[in-house]
Amino acid sequence: MSRFTSELVDELAEKLLIGLSPEENKMVLDEFAIIDENLQKVEDIENIKNVEPMTHCLDDFTFSLREDVVTPSIPIKDALKNCEKIEGREVEVPKVVGGEN
Amino acid sequence: MDKTIEELHELLTNNFVTSKELVEEALKKSYEVNKKYNAFVTILDEAKETPVSENLLSGIPFGIKDNYSTKDILSTGSSNTLKNYVPFFNATAVEKLLNVGAIPVNKTVLDEFGMGGTGTTGHTGVVKNPWDSTRMTAGSSAGSACAVAAGVYPYALGSDTGDSIRKPAAYCGIVGYKPTYGMVSRFGLFPFASSLDTCGVLTRSVKDAAIVIDNMKGLDKLDMTSWDSSHIHLYQSIDGKVENKKLCYIKELCSIENYENPTEELKMHLENFKEKIKLCEKLGMKVEEISIDQKLLDALPSVYVAISCAEATSNMSNLTGIIFGPRGEGKNVTEMMMDHRTKGFSPLIKRRFVIGSYILQKENQERYLKNAQRVRRLLVDTWKNLFKTYDAIILPVGSGPAKHLDASKDLLTKDTKVLEEHLQIGNFGGFPSITIPDGFINDLPVALNITGNCYDDENVLNIAYALESAMPYKNQIAKEISHE
Repeated sequence: MSRFTSELVDELAEKLLIGLSPEENKMVLDEFAIIDENLQKVEDIENIKNVEPMTHCLDDFTFSLREDVVTPSIPIKDALKNCEKIEGREVEVPKVVGGEN
Repeated sequence: MDKTIEELHELLTNNFVTSKELVEEALKKSYEVNKKYNAFVTILDEAKETPVSENLLSGIPFGIKDNYSTKDILSTGSSNTLKNYVPFFNATAVEKLLNVGAIPVNKTVLDEFGMGGTGTTGHTGVVKNPWDSTRMTAGSSAGSACAVAAGVYPYALGSDTGDSIRKPAAYCGIVGYKPTYGMVSRFGLFPFASSLDTCGVLTRSVKDAAIVIDNMKGLDKLDMTSWDSSHIHLYQSIDGKVENKKLCYIKELCSIENYENPTEELKMHLENFKEKIKLCEKLGMKVEEISIDQKLLDALPSVYVAISCAEATSNMSNLTGIIFGPRGEGKNVTEMMMDHRTKGFSPLIKRRFVIGSYILQKENQERYLKNAQRVRRLLVDTWKNLFKTYDAIILPVGSGPAKHLDASKDLLTKDTKVLEEHLQIGNFGGFPSITIPDGFINDLPVALNITGNCYDDENVLNIAYALESAMPYKNQIAKEISHE
């Protein structure tokens, strides 16, 4: 029943900013077919729709909001340490506004 | 380095060996092991001895999985997208170990970002099993498992999102411990699937696992899911007293009749497991066989993929090559990011992102993500109900010893899939879970797993310790089998 087609796979990959080879595209389709088949069976589980989806493993988990206190932030030098192209204290990228690019 | 942490500590405090000598031995061994099995991304030649204190870990070398951030040390996640990334901070778990004088000597290879179970997808190549280099270590904590089994040091850090500590430990004949979710801070661990990710350790004995986690755990203001475990003392609590403890195992997974055309290895593995059940009884524990809805079990592998892919897709959207990682080529920012991600990610990761992205689309969430999360709750509720009656669940790990490297995981027969993947339930519920070696098949190690309720880590480790003490596999070092 899946609407999960080769074209859709490419479309999703494009949105994720990853390129897929035809082989990789097929691998996605094959793996998804198994997931789709198995999760189809889940629909048959009695009263499945009444179950609250579980998004976190500790159901007694509590947290409190921290006080909004200003703390030192990381030095700009450290923040830029792993960037391949910098100019002064800024990340260098091609122009993104006001032109073709 | 083939000794336990307690033994090494005694040797250090009695001046039979120095921390400097241990570091030198661990580094020498690291090079030997890397040459044979490709276990490390980085070997830290500049590692230095530390003063020996009362802390059992002081002065002793260890390994760090390469998805833990390490200050001024390359931390790649075994991915080309971070092949040149050097963090300016330490993961909290690492920082805590450094503070007690533990000495990191290498960063270990993983399946790219922890998203794999074979040890074959790291950007530096395949990690081989030290018992048999034609076989896989499993993953994702592949290099850590390999190194500990090969006797480079007594412990290495791992992370576990599905079974990434406990499966490689099984294949390599060592101990793999995933504590209760949030016991160890995840700050500085590269995120894969945040609701499942757990920091843990690979060792050669249960007591060593307790010692290491005692030193890694604790509330951390930098990880809001961490919790205060100051009342839990894993090492001190181990006494081996297990009389009248109640365990259960799952019929659907452990009965050979449930498998069509079982392999000889599977038969031997399950027979060996049954013998260990008898051993539990001999130790005074009560063990019962219970039954679980097969439909729930069958859904497990796909539920895991759905949840983990969805979370991973979101977590890894920051890998663009712009502010860190190697720059991609292109005439605009979008093209540069596309080039970086296309070249940087392996095919396995890419396909998981696409699946995750599809599942996260608003119109698909109900059918895929929400239903997967519903099954997660049903499975966890089932396990929690069992923990009302039983102290722990005991199960075999996988369908036998390590798989051959040339055997694709996808070729596994459909009916052993759940047996291969059931440890994921430990992550669904955040349960403490430990794998210990329980025998040999064709000279290769196999293992069993003990899983208990959240926060009951002391109990889980104690049961594992009692069993370990009654078997001859404690602190074993890999002996490579000959193919001649």
